[in-house]
Amino acid sequence: MNLSRLAGDAVQYLFVGIAAFLSVFPFAWMVISSTNTSIDILGGKATFGQAFAANVGNFFAQVDAPLVFWNSAKVAVMATVLTIAISSLAGYGFEMFRSKTRDRVYSMVLLTLMVPFAALMIPLFMMMAKSGLIDTHIAIVLPGIASAFIIFYFRQSTKAFPVELRDAAKVDGLKEWQIFLYIYVPVMRSTYAAAIIIVFMASWNNYLWPLIVLQSNETKTITLVVSSLASAYNPDFGVVMIGTILATLPTLFIFFVMQRQFVQGMLGSVK
Amino acid sequence: MAAVELTDLRKSFGTLDIIKGVDLAIDPGEFVVFVGPSGCGKSTLLRMIAGLEDITSGELRIGGEVMNGVDPSQRGIAMVFQSYALYPHMTVRENMGFALKFAGIARAEIDRRVDDAAGTLGLGALMDRKPKALSGGQRQRVAIGRAIVRDPKVFLFDEPLSNLDAELRVHMRVEIAKLHKRLQSTIIYVTHDQVEAMTLADKIVVLRSGIVEQVGRPLDLYDDPANMFVAGFIGSPKMNFLPARIEAAEAGRVTVALASQPGVRLDLPAAAGTAKAGDAVSLGIRPEHFVAAGTGDADLAVEVDVAEHLGSTSYVYADVAPGERVIIQQEESRHATARGRLVVGLPAERCFLFDDAGRRIR
Repeated sequence: MNLSRLAGDAVQYLFVGIAAFLSVFPFAWMVISSTNTSIDILGGKATFGQAFAANVGNFFAQVDAPLVFWNSAKVAVMATVLTIAISSLAGYGFEMFRSKTRDRVYSMVLLTLMVPFAALMIPLFMMMAKSGLIDTHIAIVLPGIASAFIIFYFRQSTKAFPVELRDAAKVDGLKEWQIFLYIYVPVMRSTYAAAIIIVFMASWNNYLWPLIVLQSNETKTITLVVSSLASAYNPDFGVVMIGTILATLPTLFIFFVMQRQFVQGMLGSVK
Repeated sequence: MAAVELTDLRKSFGTLDIIKGVDLAIDPGEFVVFVGPSGCGKSTLLRMIAGLEDITSGELRIGGEVMNGVDPSQRGIAMVFQSYALYPHMTVRENMGFALKFAGIARAEIDRRVDDAAGTLGLGALMDRKPKALSGGQRQRVAIGRAIVRDPKVFLFDEPLSNLDAELRVHMRVEIAKLHKRLQSTIIYVTHDQVEAMTLADKIVVLRSGIVEQVGRPLDLYDDPANMFVAGFIGSPKMNFLPARIEAAEAGRVTVALASQPGVRLDLPAAAGTAKAGDAVSLGIRPEHFVAAGTGDADLAVEVDVAEHLGSTSYVYADVAPGERVIIQQEESRHATARGRLVVGLPAERCFLFDDAGRRIR
């Protein structure tokens, strides 16, 4: 192996190493901090401590964990199911059905991606207030179920769906909804897996909109609770880290279970 | 098996006319091949028969019943697609039985029909595999099996062999011919490969730009093409066309002279009133119909450019004049050199004559 190649490899490994460190460090810091007291954390201690059990105990003493996780799970599952169902139908429809106005309508849908959420917050809040949905989980889910990004993602993925499969299914006697359900969904399962992960994570981690809409403790989700622990007058960072770890676990679980399909889905679903 | 009748069938996309009034009668049990160059509308016509494209106007009858607007699954057809269109998430058995399951047929009957078709096509050992675990030829057989189990009145094949390699294509061509012999069903088959058309068809329909140019038995089209397009399309290598001029025309006979070699004259029969002296025409002769110099009705001198020797036969690519190329097929002519002058004979009885609009006048 010559020197220039060795140097090239070294630069590559250095770059990858820095990227890996930046990715892993926050998670490692969170895990280490969860075993330390608040004082140790503020003192910059970066080694495992003895306070893990005490932090866990304090967290469950301060937080109605089953209720909070139930709220988060309910919101994330509802949002995922509705968003995937509606946005994948829209993506399929935009790609499969020809019409003169199709691309114009699609462009308008994509244009909504340019509108920042900050500009929508107040009108959305007023809509929810008029509909009597403030402090309900439906209010969190509704604004996102026709997601322009997920529609875009499904339409682009549907371009790889063989049109002849749809024709064959029509000859086999399937109606359009049956083609969607029995042919399209199974064939595009990797696309669905990737979309499920994206939507579930976004919904589980959603903070700003739930903060505005949810007002009572009975409806609050884990992100709001962890945030309120961190912003207390005298925050216990060990407890905050326990909350953060617990909040991270479901998304990690979903990601690792569906990792293979996620990668396939991002690369192109149909083989 | 059922008859298929197309009456003034038309298809337009907006202002663009794709199929411009097709009239065709297909007898029960007949193997009909739609052939034509890319974009001629042959696949669109097949899809209209299948119900996958709407019919803009005209009438389609299958088994005597009007089928315009009828759902594809209710037309009594089964279709084999170019890309096979097997459902990738289902096994071979599930693929073959899927349509029957949706038609509400009992499980035992589905299994019986699927096993019968699998036996016929030699798919028995592959029934639990998914399409990605099959070769191209096996996928094609599964696609045909999926069509067979439906017991359709009419089979529709849309360029089914074009994704296969040359050897497998020949093998599957024979398999499809055998299948037709066994099932005796009506088959409509689309291809751009005129060898497939010639070897499989009872009847060939030659299409160009959404219009039927000629309908007939394969050898009738070869021997008796209606126009220059059909003459050029049917036969491989294609017919040579040499620019010529009518020197004299009288009582159903004409004398033509080649434009590039006026000394080459032929006396040919011609339909009365179709040509007059001075008209520009095209003289058509197939590569395999040239004869040895001195044994035809006129001799033609050409400059050989390239000679391809295939063993039993050779193809000589030559120029009659600059830019005026011909292909000459010669049996046992390995001596033909890559370059040089060659003189061949033109037998009048093998020559065709077309007017400047491409209509045949002899």
